[in-house]
Amino acid sequence: MTTPARRRLMRDFKRLQEDPPAGVSGAPSDNNIMLWNAVIFGPHDTPFEDGTFKLTIEFTEEYPNKPPTVRFISKMFHPNVYADGSICLDILQNRWSPTYDVSAILTSIQSLLHDPNPNSPANYEAAQLYRETRREYEKKVAAIVQESWNDDDDDDDDEGEEDEEESKAGS
Amino acid sequence: MGNSWTGVATWKWIANDDNCGICRMAFDGCCPDCKLPGDDCPLVWGQCSHVFHMHCIVKWLQSQSTNSPCPMCRQEWKWKAG
Repeated sequence: MTTPARRRLMRDFKRLQEDPPAGVSGAPSDNNIMLWNAVIFGPHDTPFEDGTFKLTIEFTEEYPNKPPTVRFISKMFHPNVYADGSICLDILQNRWSPTYDVSAILTSIQSLLHDPNPNSPANYEAAQLYRETRREYEKKVAAIVQESWNDDDDDDDDEGEEDEEESKAGS
Repeated sequence: MGNSWTGVATWKWIANDDNCGICRMAFDGCCPDCKLPGDDCPLVWGQCSHVFHMHCIVKWLQSQSTNSPCPMCRQEWKWKAG
C-alpha cells in the first residue's frame, strides 16, 4: 500500500543514494519503509571521531508533517542524548519543518556531535563534564567510540564472526 | 484527403524551484494525494514568495496547533493574493 508518507520516504531514500552526505548513511529496514536504520560516523576533529554510531528512525503516516522518532542504538555519551538513546534536538521537536528529509536529519545529528548544547542537557553528567572538565568528557566519549565498533552484530554476539578479536579494549 | 490539425499545447507552472519542498514531487506533477497535475492540484505562493502544492501546505498548516510558519523561512505563512 502506498501512502503520501511512504512515497516521500522513497524519495528520501533515492536522494540519500544519489547525493549521499559525507559521514552518514541510512536505509529503510527490509520489510518496513517506516523504520530506518542509520549510521553516523563520528565527525573529524571531535572526540567522536572514528566512532560508528547506529540509530533507528521511526516514521508515522503523518511524515513529513510530523518529525520521526530518532534514537541512538549504539551507546552514546553526549550532553543532548538521553540514556535511552533519544535525542534532544530542536529540529526534531518544535523547530521541525516538513521540508526536512532523512538526509537533513542525519546531517543535523552529525553536527550536534560537533557542537553539543550544554544548556539544554539530556545527560547531566555529559553536560557538566563538557563544560567543566573537558578531558574527562573526552575520555568518556573515547570509551563509547570503542564500544561502537563492537555492536556490529546488534543483539547478542553471534559467534565471533569477522575479526572481533582485534578490538580487545571493548566493554 | 483534407488537411487536419491536431492541437498540442504544453503548460508549466512558473515557480522558482522544480520540486515542492514538502512532498519533493515535481511542481509539474501533482502532490502525492492527487492523480492529475494541473488545476486540480494547484500551486500556491506565500507572501514570503515560497511556493508549494496547495494540498501540501494546507496539510502542514492544519497539522500545526499554535503558529503556522512557512516551511522554508519560518515566517508566519500568509497567502499571497492572486
